Amino acid sequence: MRLDVFGATMRVNKTETCRGVVAVSRGVQVMTCTRCIYDEKVSEISFDNEGVCNYCRQVDSLVSSYGTGTARGELKFRKLVEKIKLVQQNADYDCIVGVSGGTDSSFLLLLAKEVGLRPLAVHYDNTWNSAVATQNIAIVTKKLGIDLVTYVIDNKEQDQTKLAILKAGVPEFDADTDIAFISVLRKVAAYHRVKYILEGHSFVTEGISPIGGNYFDNAYVMDICRRFGDFKPKSFPSLGFWTFLKWSVIYRQQIIRPLWYLEYDKTSARKRLQEELGWRYYGGHHLENRASAFAHTVWLPQRFGVDLRNLSLAADVRSGKRTREEAIREYGTPVHVEKNLVRYVKKRLDLTDDEYLLLMNGPRRTWRQFKTYKRRFELLRPLFYVLARFGMVPMSFYLKYCFPLRKHS
Amino acid sequence: MITIVDYRMGNIGSLVNMFQHIGEEVIVTNEPADILRADKLLLPGVGAYGIAMQRINGLPGLRDALDEVVLNREIPILGICLGMQLFTDFSEEGNQEGLGWIPGSVVRLALQPELRVPHMGWNEVKITNRTPMTESISKHSRFYFAHSYHVVVADANTRMLSTVYGEEFNSGINHKNIFGVQFHPEKSLKSGMEILRSFSEM
Amino acid sequence: MLQNRVIPVLLLTNGSLVKTKQFKSPTYIGDPVNTALIFNELEADELVLLDISPTVHQCGPDFKTLQSVASECFMPLAYGGGISSCEQGEKILNLGFEKIVINSSAIEEPNLISNLAHALGSQAVVVGVDFRRMRDNSRAVFSRNGRRRAELDLVSWCRRAEMYGAGELLLTSIDSEGTWSGYDLPAIKEVASAVGIPVIANGGAGSLADIESLFFHTGALGAGVGSMFVFQGRGKGVLVNMPSKEQLRDITKTKYGSRL
Repeated sequence: MRLDVFGATMRVNKTETCRGVVAVSRGVQVMTCTRCIYDEKVSEISFDNEGVCNYCRQVDSLVSSYGTGTARGELKFRKLVEKIKLVQQNADYDCIVGVSGGTDSSFLLLLAKEVGLRPLAVHYDNTWNSAVATQNIAIVTKKLGIDLVTYVIDNKEQDQTKLAILKAGVPEFDADTDIAFISVLRKVAAYHRVKYILEGHSFVTEGISPIGGNYFDNAYVMDICRRFGDFKPKSFPSLGFWTFLKWSVIYRQQIIRPLWYLEYDKTSARKRLQEELGWRYYGGHHLENRASAFAHTVWLPQRFGVDLRNLSLAADVRSGKRTREEAIREYGTPVHVEKNLVRYVKKRLDLTDDEYLLLMNGPRRTWRQFKTYKRRFELLRPLFYVLARFGMVPMSFYLKYCFPLRKHS
Repeated sequence: MITIVDYRMGNIGSLVNMFQHIGEEVIVTNEPADILRADKLLLPGVGAYGIAMQRINGLPGLRDALDEVVLNREIPILGICLGMQLFTDFSEEGNQEGLGWIPGSVVRLALQPELRVPHMGWNEVKITNRTPMTESISKHSRFYFAHSYHVVVADANTRMLSTVYGEEFNSGINHKNIFGVQFHPEKSLKSGMEILRSFSEM
Repeated sequence: MLQNRVIPVLLLTNGSLVKTKQFKSPTYIGDPVNTALIFNELEADELVLLDISPTVHQCGPDFKTLQSVASECFMPLAYGGGISSCEQGEKILNLGFEKIVINSSAIEEPNLISNLAHALGSQAVVVGVDFRRMRDNSRAVFSRNGRRRAELDLVSWCRRAEMYGAGELLLTSIDSEGTWSGYDLPAIKEVASAVGIPVIANGGAGSLADIESLFFHTGALGAGVGSMFVFQGRGKGVLVNMPSKEQLRDITKTKYGSRL
């Protein structure tokens, strides 16, 4: 049986779980990077004559240009901080920090205060938060004396959107949250006349997510809702194409990734957060929100055979936190699903057991079958190159969105 | 598999929810045939002793089936709140005869000037006699109570847990396969979940 | 020892949670089922859910949402809003709620209190009483979410409710609600001293000190909390949060909840 997922054709073997483009194949020989654990099925991967994959090389080149974890990187960051303070001196805040209650964003707040910035914390609440997330946000912002803005989407509309995504059978269960989060950050930044948005991504601890995997943009979400939900989201904080350009080019908003410059290790970050602020660890990437927990532990692995643990495991291997053998072994273990999560999803989305089963076994689709801005991004590549060079859009955005994707055979 | 006795008194919905959460199957029934097939029983109860006994005695074959499996086959049974009180011989409330499985009686909580009745809210327990069920209880355990009457037992060996509200009273009793708790484990968060889990693992 | 209770009070309208200020200007808070689950994860002592939709009296309770909420909560739950019959009360309890709260229905037909107490047990019947301070400093009772003044004095109505068989009272100060300025301590104390049933105070909690004051000065057994648990701070953004168990343990450790 052949399936079309992420633009790549896969063979599905009825005796094993469906192989996705980013899953290490269980027990079958595939070409694997000699350095990390990405294998040939990872989208847009290639190997050089040392057998090292392009994603490793990309991380190497980013480390080199940003000086990550070195004195040079530290200096670059300090200079950036001074510039931010200068530019923002007349505004209420220096920077916006998007928070989720997780390790990276909580650590960013601590870091921002340490270097003397005046951050405004912004939280997008998709109404699927766990207690650990909201408590962590409360504890960290209160202890550090940081103001918080939240935007809560209408709960009934959110559930309609999630249901539409399930019916559409696409992998990006959390696409709407991803867009909404960025949209809210930028809107709040514009309102407070703040140019700088701090973001907690770290290519050292998370790697670069494969191009072609997990596509999202505003048009995509809207089209899914229209075709599979028969509604137009109203309380959803839209980030349309022109709005995106407005924030980037006219408002000159910049995304700053401090963790691209500085030494960062999640374990010590968590320790500091716990000891200094009473923050709590929730046990896994993105598990502070029930919708993303469902996406990562149920929807992607069971529906598409996609196990995104390879992102952080590969990053651990590259940074020397784990050996390659350990990581491959860990990746071979089954994905842990929190006991009552599926029951909760059925309850929220008002699904009977049978309806849920139908959704878990229905036709699979990809972003290519929907209206998106992808083509437009590709056609405007030169413009986005310039914007990326000037930090107005993330370089990772440029790399991911502005190039046509190879179709795998 | 837990068989919950349904005589239309008691918060069965919450019990079913909690068992589902811990992954234990339940059936809710008052059919003698189901009772006779049961591995474990649960007797819930909220309301008046007299009405409860009337209902239990009134459902055809139920009383006999219960006596058979509890007294002869000695399958584990957990009584909750009024359910625990029904194990005794009689109650002041309504002057009714109970199931008579654990010698004792039910009396009203002593009214003291500063006490409000019913005893309602979170309180602690002390272990008077250790049993398989008390293993899950720690000094941090707290349970939710909502009652105006309490159980006095004839044999001190059947006391399992005690709680203070004005006076000290039995918040848990046990005799062989028969366990009773005065509080509501299905409404006592983690502490309660541990009690139901330890019962399901017996 | 029996502890005092700190109880999140959530307001439901048309399937979403809101928070009001002095019973006006609702702010959207979020999803009722997820929020209830968060309070379950945070191990709240109890949860009160009140449906304040204008249509709840005609349409009756939103049983579907209530069922979903009940299946996520393993602490005592109370529901109020549009209950006017024993059948509805029984249905709510069967979903997994411990108590029902009646307010306007009780004022309009006090026999409902005794009917419900008889059918469900008095421990399951809470009478909700909303009141405002009048110019002469007396407290007047209001029904229909503060829109209709009942010709009732606060203390005597509470006494009557107890006589009819109420198991608990939920007293809400409309003036203090949503203001973060503390409970109406004199009013609560007066009622708590006049009745023998437990009193839960509601409206105005802005800090742990307010809650501690309530327990220390009034004889109330329960502290209803709204805004403090759904906003990050006074005038700040929505964020469901609660003080830690340790912080709450210190202020709920008192004697029986005595009548002073």
